[in-house]
Amino acid sequence: MTMLNRRHVLMAGAAGLVATAWRISPASAADDVLYAAAKKEGALNLYWGSYEQKTIEDIRDAFKAKYPGIEVNLLRQASQTVYTRLRLEIQNDAVQCDSLGTTNLLHYQELKKINAIQAFEPSNAGMLPAAFRTLDPDNTYHVGAISLTTINQSSKVTEPPKSWQALLDAPWAGKITTGSPAYSGDVASWVVAIRKKYGDDYLKAFAKQKPKVGQSNVDTVTDILSGERTVGSGAPFSYSLAQKVAGNPIDVTIPEDDAILNLGLTAVPTKAPHPNAGKLFTDFLYSVEVSQILSRNFWPTLRTDVPWAEGRTLESVKWYRNPVDNLAAEVAEGIAKWKEYIV
Amino acid sequence: MVPQSPSKAAGAAALGYWRHHAVRGLVFVALLAVLALLVVHPLGWIVFNSLHDDDTGRWTLNNYGQILRSASLIAPLLNSLLLATAVAVLSTLIGVPLAWLVARTDLPGRGLIRVLTLAAFVTPSFIGALGWILLAAPNSGWLNVGWRWITGAENALLDIYTMAGTVFVCAIYTVPYTFTMVSSALEEMPVELEDAATTLGSGLLRTMRSVTIPLVMPAVLVSFILSFIQGMTLFGVPAFLLTPGGTLVVTTKLAEFYQLFPPALFLSAAYCMPLIAITGALFYARRRILGRRQFTTIGGKGRAGRRIRLGGWRVPALAFALIVPMTAVILPYIAIVLVSLSRAWGRGPVPSNLTFHWYRWAIIENGETQRAIVNSLLYAGLAASFCMLIGILVAYIVERRLVRGASLIAALVTIPIIIPGIVLSVGFFSAYTRPPLNFYGTATIIIAAFVATFLPIAYSQAGSILKGISPDLERAARSVGASEGRTFASITVPLMRGGLVAGWLLVFIPIMRELSVAIFLVSPKTNVMTTLIYNYKDGGNYEAVCAASTLLLFGTLLVVLLARVVAEGTAKRRRNATSLGAAT
Repeated sequence: MTMLNRRHVLMAGAAGLVATAWRISPASAADDVLYAAAKKEGALNLYWGSYEQKTIEDIRDAFKAKYPGIEVNLLRQASQTVYTRLRLEIQNDAVQCDSLGTTNLLHYQELKKINAIQAFEPSNAGMLPAAFRTLDPDNTYHVGAISLTTINQSSKVTEPPKSWQALLDAPWAGKITTGSPAYSGDVASWVVAIRKKYGDDYLKAFAKQKPKVGQSNVDTVTDILSGERTVGSGAPFSYSLAQKVAGNPIDVTIPEDDAILNLGLTAVPTKAPHPNAGKLFTDFLYSVEVSQILSRNFWPTLRTDVPWAEGRTLESVKWYRNPVDNLAAEVAEGIAKWKEYIV
Repeated sequence: MVPQSPSKAAGAAALGYWRHHAVRGLVFVALLAVLALLVVHPLGWIVFNSLHDDDTGRWTLNNYGQILRSASLIAPLLNSLLLATAVAVLSTLIGVPLAWLVARTDLPGRGLIRVLTLAAFVTPSFIGALGWILLAAPNSGWLNVGWRWITGAENALLDIYTMAGTVFVCAIYTVPYTFTMVSSALEEMPVELEDAATTLGSGLLRTMRSVTIPLVMPAVLVSFILSFIQGMTLFGVPAFLLTPGGTLVVTTKLAEFYQLFPPALFLSAAYCMPLIAITGALFYARRRILGRRQFTTIGGKGRAGRRIRLGGWRVPALAFALIVPMTAVILPYIAIVLVSLSRAWGRGPVPSNLTFHWYRWAIIENGETQRAIVNSLLYAGLAASFCMLIGILVAYIVERRLVRGASLIAALVTIPIIIPGIVLSVGFFSAYTRPPLNFYGTATIIIAAFVATFLPIAYSQAGSILKGISPDLERAARSVGASEGRTFASITVPLMRGGLVAGWLLVFIPIMRELSVAIFLVSPKTNVMTTLIYNYKDGGNYEAVCAASTLLLFGTLLVVLLARVVAEGTAKRRRNATSLGAAT
């Protein structure tokens, strides 16, 4: 009996090893050179706001397994917080960050303007969705995360609103919960997009529905699970799905008039103490392993050859992304209009 | 014994005089240096920042101009004033009688009420707010659901998303300040004074009005001010409870500044200046009220442990005393513990949903949580100890007026607490991330920021105890030849000890739950519990948030209990010593 147990354990262990070896693809030649350089640097400081704690920890652990010899320090805080911190570090000439990952394009436009992020071409960007392959012609920043803003609803709702327009229908008055564009980048993107699509009339009509406005759009899930409200607008797609799979009575609806897509980005600071490690991490983000981790955590994957959870793909979802020119002004105007009409 | 020549004696006296002044001078200079590093330097950066433009980085007065001109910036200040005043009034109305009941009467369950009231203090305010959302949200709150079920009513009984709801939740989590400060003052107070009043024929109420209340006035005023400040600087509760109604307060407005693009760090710094003025005015008012009146209550005599009999009032008094334990701890923690034991909290408390996963995960599986628990306990312990040390020294110098300009030092140490943590965090960042004082990424910078933030509590607590200790005892020691340092160490500190343990807890606990001052200072290696808890909240993982908060609560409670054991041990030894002295 004891033998059998031990053998079982050994077999399971061996199977695990084989599986791990199979999943971790052999490093390419370019990768080897970069890895050697990164290993020499010895450490990697990640400042990440994209992805919640668990997903980014999973990515970090996979990186450590694949590239031993590099000490990985993960600072996971809200996007605006890690960005503010990097700005402070730049001001004081004390940059510690090797890889910045946040959900706001404006951060990178600003950092690029002051030459604070460095140009480089990730070596395995080939499988990225074509639309996101070259976001910056000068290659100073790259895609780091794909985030969708959709509708979410309580499982008790049998016929959820099918579109942003449908949220304005009578049955949803007093039922809607949402986040605030003044606090949440995702909700800000949603406001900019909805004003592009339907103008300020939408916001006026939305105000008449008496939505409950929290801070982060994660609060929509809290309201739905507690039963305070039944439908979330400008809601986080991946996070709602993760809660559904965990067993919570919630689901997502991708609106017919488009999910709003917001890109998370990543860059290596010019004065990064371990620039090669930062670049190696960017390469690693585009690997099959990371996309598999993303899929397991209900995030859209970064590779076209790895499907999302529940079999979705970028092609199967109708999405809309705000044009990037003049984005800062549009966000500011969107927040102002929101405050004028809603709270 | 060889008789000393007169010149030798004079020499020795001169040496003693010189040594006394040298030691005094050294201590004073060291203290000033520490305060300069902890308070003046970071504050200087905040003022410097407030005079710069967020976009261009140039010198400007425009940040102040903007605050004065814009109604949308004035309104949050007024809302904060309203909130803070109401919180201070309510926590005084609850906290002072509660302290009296626990410290001076035969109320049943005093020990439990004391521990639970401190437990209210441990709870991070956003956790308390979350608990109250689960309890009293208008549609789904359990209390409202129960009310509708019982009465068949349509409308909600309670709506937590209101100013009244916010004041209530802030107040129940602020009462522990008032409770701890006032009860430690009451415990140190000799009953002879009250006995004298009773002997002269005054009833319980009259005695209270003419003896007890005036004697605890310093503690009441200080705790009123600290509660006011707490009402001004809390972020979690108004963020959850007032945002849905569209009401902004200073802290939620600051959070908006930080979300702007680019983040308005310098405008935020300017936005804190009115808060410093308000707090300054409060401390000034306190001095005017107390003036030079004497409150010495701790003399050479021991105090009797006699308690006032409540008689028929025991039951209503107990009901009153249970308000804070029930509303701030038991009810919300029922909700929080249920969530922490759930696979998926949205499914509610059904057997199939029960799991210990989140605890196993937090304690055993997750390296980040383990490190954060150790860091939190270590930093809070060290910071609270330093804080008390500096607080006692400052209070001693100020109360005994050892040097001129002492009140200036007092004013200085009280400023950091009013500055919202996120702004102070930037101040510390600016001050200590460049050579020669580069502590970025180390534990030092976090501990220093914690010490600076909570110095006012340590100082206030030490000050209100010192006000009660008669300088006669110190003078007696000095007259028999003890040096100032020796007197301080062997007379003053032992007399203060009970109150000091309370003070240490008053600093330790808020550090354990402090979030925002650490926000730009923590590094992956120096992460603390609250930053981690906030991350899980940010990711919506409430099961993990609640498990971590429950652990935080029990960890801190353990420390609180340990501290009580130490304090009680000391008190017992002191009583024994006193009675021994009386016998001989």
